[in-house]
Amino acid sequence: MRIFDPHIHMTSRTTDDYEAMHAAGVRALVEPAFWLGQPRTNVGSFLDYFDGLVGWERFRAAQFGIAHHCAIALNPKEANDPRCTGVLEHLSHYLVKDGVVAVGEVGYDSMTPEEDDAFARQLELAARHDLPVLVHTPHRDKQQGTLRTLDVVRESGIPPERVLVDHLNETTVRAVADSGCWMGFSIYPDTKMDEARMVALLAEYGTGRVLVNSAADWGRSDPLKTRSTGLAMLEAGFDESEVDTVLWSNPVEFYGQSGRLLLDPVTSLATDTVTGNSVLRGERR
Amino acid sequence: MTFHLGYGTNGFANHRLDDALAVIADLGYTAVALTLDHHHLDPFADDIGARTERLAARLSALGLRVVVETGARYLLDPLRKHHPTLVSEDQEVRVDFLLRAKRIAADLGAECVSFWSGVGPSDSWEHLKSGVAAVLTGGPAVPLALEPEPGMVVERLDQALRLREELGNPELLGITLDVGHCVAVEWQDAAACLREAGGLLMNVQLDDMVPGVHEHLEFGEGQLDLPDTLAALTDIGYTGVAAVELPRHSHAAPLVAKRAFEALRTASWLAMAEQALRADPASIHTVFPAVGRAVRFGVREARTRLLVAYADTSQDVAEGLAALYRHGTSAERLGVLRGLAEIGGRVPETGVELVKDALRSNETGLVAAAMGAFAAHHLDQHAWRHGVLKCLFMSIPLTVVSDLDRRTDDELLRMVSAFADERRAAGRRVPADALELLGKAS
Repeated sequence: MRIFDPHIHMTSRTTDDYEAMHAAGVRALVEPAFWLGQPRTNVGSFLDYFDGLVGWERFRAAQFGIAHHCAIALNPKEANDPRCTGVLEHLSHYLVKDGVVAVGEVGYDSMTPEEDDAFARQLELAARHDLPVLVHTPHRDKQQGTLRTLDVVRESGIPPERVLVDHLNETTVRAVADSGCWMGFSIYPDTKMDEARMVALLAEYGTGRVLVNSAADWGRSDPLKTRSTGLAMLEAGFDESEVDTVLWSNPVEFYGQSGRLLLDPVTSLATDTVTGNSVLRGERR
Repeated sequence: MTFHLGYGTNGFANHRLDDALAVIADLGYTAVALTLDHHHLDPFADDIGARTERLAARLSALGLRVVVETGARYLLDPLRKHHPTLVSEDQEVRVDFLLRAKRIAADLGAECVSFWSGVGPSDSWEHLKSGVAAVLTGGPAVPLALEPEPGMVVERLDQALRLREELGNPELLGITLDVGHCVAVEWQDAAACLREAGGLLMNVQLDDMVPGVHEHLEFGEGQLDLPDTLAALTDIGYTGVAAVELPRHSHAAPLVAKRAFEALRTASWLAMAEQALRADPASIHTVFPAVGRAVRFGVREARTRLLVAYADTSQDVAEGLAALYRHGTSAERLGVLRGLAEIGGRVPETGVELVKDALRSNETGLVAAAMGAFAAHHLDQHAWRHGVLKCLFMSIPLTVVSDLDRRTDDELLRMVSAFADERRAAGRRVPADALELLGKAS
């Protein structure tokens, strides 16, 4: 089973996770920019984070044979803090880089005017840089938030096939399916979606435009939920090519619209003069 | 790009012409330089008219522009290469061939017929002139482009221009320039030759060469500055065909043609990027990150080249370089560190700051690149020693360290020796590079 996790926050994960993910079949991922659990208080904190996403984290992933890409954005939650919104001025700088395959996560947290503003400005940036968009839907008042999200996307003029609306569930999937946007589902140990419910939605809606991710981060989450969903699909009678569509081809097609996906073997990244590495610690194997 | 990139069919000598054209068009070329030859539209065939008509349709279907080349080796004489020429006694055979070429070119809608003078004594100048005049006046009104060819009576651009002038500057007589020839025999570089030819330029052949050696090489194997050459063609507003000329690479034509196209695409992107940098140095922040996507071969050289162009135009190289590094991807950071060997001397303080930053990182590639030529000359001894030790610690081969022998001192050897002891105490392997360094000293 080859797996592309289209939404996972590796900055918060350990090398054990990278090892387990590779063993489970994960060969590529996208790490969208989000908040860190602890609120940021200044723009510089974002820039260090973004620099890590295009630098160190890619290097770390490469040590484990996983192609790391990222999405860059001011997240909805921190869009409400005036100490942070200055980062919008810096985003263009990152949106031209290799490995940056989308603008995200953008969208709503509490549906404030500040979030409206940041969302609209970042959709403009996506259009200007010809990048797809990863949209986070809110934890609270999700249905209303999702509908409003789809309205904003429609008004922005960005083609729906370049937008992925994430963290969907039974109550929000229909509207997104009808909009023409891609549908993202985060499979969590307790909250959001689980494997069995995901399989039921796949049976109802089919595999087209559906992406499954672990959205693993610093909270209780599991980076192997992509694989367990794939296994649950097989158990429910989906065939291997349908699993491959959801876990590999769909993310490749969606993020491939950036023209910047690099899925070749990644071990040479940043190590082309040397073969040593510093994350595995110890002698070369 | 104002002109059309093409490929010479003499580099596809082992292909049927129809197949060669398809391969060339599929690779992305929009033109072809057609060398008339036995097997490629034989100008002496009985049904040449019908064949030409069919080929014209084929070219049009494939969207290929065409120039007609007349340098076939054994078309007129099966024993003597290129014989007879316009400086031979039996010049009329060559004149007849060139007139046939003009008729074919007219029927094909070709941009021009390209020709050279021939190998002969220096006193054959007047004979040559009469031959060129005969070709000019006979046949249809098709532009003729005289190509200076190393070893021939006309081997440099100035001679071709003089011959044209002595013939009264005929409107239909222009110039073919092979940019490789420029490297091999001209007094100035290819870009300068193209600018000198200016509006008289009717046809361009693209290939690499080394000075003094007339051997057509693939791009990058000689000393041609390809981005500069393409920039010169754009500068003079050239709108004709510029076709790759690799007549001795037919055995691997499809691969060679593909490599050449990638090299041309890269070079034309670089030329454009350098132009953008001259207009606005701040554009480094958009072109530098794009190198990884725009450049297929020679990424390292391309990054250095852009940094040099930036350093030549920017008012604040130090700050710009630091920003490129600090907010760069790993590949961009590597590019800056390697570029320090070229431009670091202009901003040594910033260069040292960046090298020290890289040495604090845990990315092997960055650490390795930091210990290059710039560090060898500018990094203080304490930081340099720790850089070497960090390489050993991270299993980076010490071959990445410039001037290792010159800068190695007793204190470094003490540090390496202690490192080896620590590894042995832990029952771990001591890197061979460490042992070698210690062995050399003892």
